[in-house]
Amino acid sequence: MFDKILIANRGEIALRIERACKELGVATVAVHSTADAHAMHVRLADESVCIGAPPAKDSYLNIPAIVAACEITGADAVHPGYGFLAENARFAEILEEHKIAFIGPTAEHVRLMGDKIQAKETVSALGIPVVPGSDGPVRNFEEAKAVAAQIGYPIMVKAAAGGGGRGMKLAHFENELEPALRTARNEARAAFGNDTVYLEKYLTHPRHIEVQVVADGKGNAIHLGERDCSLQRRHQKLWEEAPSPALNDDERLRIGDIVATAMRKLKYRGLGTVEFLYENGEFFFIEMNTRLQVEHTVTEMVTGLDLVIEQIRIAAGAPLSLRQEEVRFNGHAIECRINAENPHTFRPSPGTITHFHPPGGLGVRVDSGAYAGYTIPPYYDSLIGKLIVHARTRNECLMRLKRALGEFVVDGIETTIPLFTSLISEPDIVDGNYDIHWLEDHLAPKTERAE
Amino acid sequence: MSKNEGNLDKDLIRELASLLEETGLTEIEIEIEGRRVRVARGVNLTTTLTTTGNNGVPEHREHKSRSAEPEEVSVHPGTVTSPMVGTAYRSAEPGAPPFVEVGTRVAAGQTLLIIEAMKTMNQIPSPKAGTVIAILIEDGQPVEYGEPLVVIEQR
Repeated sequence: MFDKILIANRGEIALRIERACKELGVATVAVHSTADAHAMHVRLADESVCIGAPPAKDSYLNIPAIVAACEITGADAVHPGYGFLAENARFAEILEEHKIAFIGPTAEHVRLMGDKIQAKETVSALGIPVVPGSDGPVRNFEEAKAVAAQIGYPIMVKAAAGGGGRGMKLAHFENELEPALRTARNEARAAFGNDTVYLEKYLTHPRHIEVQVVADGKGNAIHLGERDCSLQRRHQKLWEEAPSPALNDDERLRIGDIVATAMRKLKYRGLGTVEFLYENGEFFFIEMNTRLQVEHTVTEMVTGLDLVIEQIRIAAGAPLSLRQEEVRFNGHAIECRINAENPHTFRPSPGTITHFHPPGGLGVRVDSGAYAGYTIPPYYDSLIGKLIVHARTRNECLMRLKRALGEFVVDGIETTIPLFTSLISEPDIVDGNYDIHWLEDHLAPKTERAE
Repeated sequence: MSKNEGNLDKDLIRELASLLEETGLTEIEIEIEGRRVRVARGVNLTTTLTTTGNNGVPEHREHKSRSAEPEEVSVHPGTVTSPMVGTAYRSAEPGAPPFVEVGTRVAAGQTLLIIEAMKTMNQIPSPKAGTVIAILIEDGQPVEYGEPLVVIEQR
């Protein structure tokens, strides 16, 4: 086991990692920018090092400063958390060159999954279902028509060089394909100087369902079931739950087995999440995250496994602590992301928290670095905490969530708590009947009014 | 680098140290709420601190290195702070004479000390001409970003 772990992150996740280290008996080093000198993760760590000025590029993304902090403290491993350097393959390599362990996968796997086209090809070869498409550019309408007929409408025409929604045109039926192809080509030529386009099946009402895996890098891997993260706004997840209200046990075990088998073949190491769009009983790969995720907590609640401890043990060379058949799913868990944002306009609300009272009681967990008197710096993301509730059934879980939200006091700033309070009384939420568009559609009229 | 164990109030010490300079005294000792701080000046500027009592309720172990706060760094306008995390050395190599001592007159750009980070030696130049009136680090001491290193007084 490591002697001392440096946590290259901030906020609630830095605190979360410190907790795991302490339970393992490993000393902790917090690093921080000048803006975070009084942050809770700094106060509760065994040691702390100020590594730079407030902008992330000068501190939390500053690789030389973080390596130097390892050198002066004698840390023998680095936990990158999520965001910042968590999926930076170069960082993993530099640590390795300095004989410091990176608590995560190999640099090679981080790089592989960071390249979206390579990732799709790789996982497809490993047996993971991907969004069907033209497997490369389509040259003319006749070719496009043949591919579209095979994979079925609606079809999205996408520019190979595209991004940011440009060069993307939707064709609901065959008679829309020819104009969609022409417009996408023209837009792509104008925007990117390259009119190469390809086709992909378009999902109209998918859910976002992701599978958690843990692997030891030696060909052993298990899955810990799924999380449903369909409630999103601008691709930001706000509410995550496990298990998904949309899957039955057979579907859960089938996709879990596909993912775990693929990770065994890849000889993946550490924690990973394979994200899917799910529609009409089918899964389609989106991407793989090679790190600990914000919403790992709901998986912890239903499996009883501490994912960060597991991750650190694996990085130190230990085998998996349980076999697939020993994984038990127990009850239901929901996480709400408490952001320092206006609950209607989502405008950031930095400032000083005057009162802070987190909820408690059976099945209630709050992961947060916030406290009364804490000033939220304007330089980083707006997540100030996560409320996680666990209960025997989804219904009990919803009632417990409602109760916990009612107890949660955060004064002095605006938070997303009122949003969640209003969501629990929505029939679609109660029924688990929502897709990735639901939240934006639900918010659209309100956002306009508030603005 | 700060170990979250002691109760070191660097601001107070720095304030006292500059008072020492201003008044020309050699020693100041004060006691506030059971904490006694003595700042003395001999050949080198030295500081000592004693905690005589733990008054009050259990508290969060407050992180006392406030060196990093930009607005708090320079009690003295001539304080040179560390631009990086690393290990500070006062001389070019072990056994060599220090770059500067208290009382050394320095030119702008003259090397005050070096900071080793990731196996590279970074020379820390004096931002201005003047006299070294305090050296706040010891040879081989780990330093944080923003930590005060040397005080230069313009003459």
